Amino acid sequence: MLELYHWSIAGTALGLVLIGLWGVLTRRNIIRIALAFTLADTGVNLLLVWTGHIPDRTSPIHDSTTAALNATEAMVDPLPQALVLTSIVIGVAVAALFVVVAVLASRRTGSADIRRLRELRW
Amino acid sequence: MIRSIFGLILVLVLGAIMVAVVPDIEYSEEIHGVGLHYTSQGMQETGSANLVTAVIVAYRGLDTLGEVVVLFCASTSVVLILSLYPLSLKVSRPSFIVAQTSRLLPAPILLLGLYLIAHSHLSPGGGFPGGAVIASAFLLVMLGGTGVPGSSRNLAAVESLAGLSFGLLGFWGVMKLGQFLNNLVLGTGTPGSLVSAGLIPLISLVIGIKVASELSSVFAAFRYKGGH
Repeated sequence: MLELYHWSIAGTALGLVLIGLWGVLTRRNIIRIALAFTLADTGVNLLLVWTGHIPDRTSPIHDSTTAALNATEAMVDPLPQALVLTSIVIGVAVAALFVVVAVLASRRTGSADIRRLRELRW
Repeated sequence: MIRSIFGLILVLVLGAIMVAVVPDIEYSEEIHGVGLHYTSQGMQETGSANLVTAVIVAYRGLDTLGEVVVLFCASTSVVLILSLYPLSLKVSRPSFIVAQTSRLLPAPILLLGLYLIAHSHLSPGGGFPGGAVIASAFLLVMLGGTGVPGSSRNLAAVESLAGLSFGLLGFWGVMKLGQFLNNLVLGTGTPGSLVSAGLIPLISLVIGIKVASELSSVFAAFRYKGGH
């Protein structure tokens, strides 16, 4: 049962990364590429959170219910969650820049199709 | 077509590698390493009941300063690019629902954002999510009207002030305890009470203001009409 639980989370994370990568590689609409990119980003975040997650434990916040328990045996690891918060913020920053550049590129070529961006070909 | 096949092959190969590697991640039912210290000593050392906030703001405060700088660079680039090449979108009148919602909801949304920031050391939340929530209230106000934001100079001033305060709070630690961003300049207080956890609430507030003004100026930049 626990195996299924772990594989479902890790599988979802890997699936999101792969779907995102597939989208980046094969889509031609630049907005869809941006969406696929953020999808892969989400998958990586999910995988990171999963590595610190331990089933049946509380979130790493002390309150009246955890006061009686030994914190190291009652909580999940706070470190991956803190790292993922950083990762989410950076992801937002990158996505915002991505969208702006996408809009400028599509304005330059008159369409959202990246094949029209001939300057980037070699 | 050929591109789809190549993409599929690449994705399948990568997926096979991942499926082979992920089960080897040393998964354990126990916390190891530095996480063990954070969970056992975190509340005593920082006074913060929320250990994720303790890690972000107190233990790894310098990294958070770097993170704030990254967000600053990104929002500055977006605003810079969009003010040089404005989108000049045609802004249509908002529908009835959006117009009414934009009058009703911003106040509760602002309250939620302020709550998330003020209770960053007690409950889930913190400067980053709180700031994003406040910026969403700003976005709602903007979507509910047809106006075009003028200069975002005020937002830029608020943002710079918040960034400066972050640095100054860090130097307070240097002056008092000889360590940049030391959380203990204010003492830890009683963990679990609103006024506790040393510098953490102040730094969360500064981060919240900074994130809110940055995201708001990004939203506003999408409606610039050009010209100054």
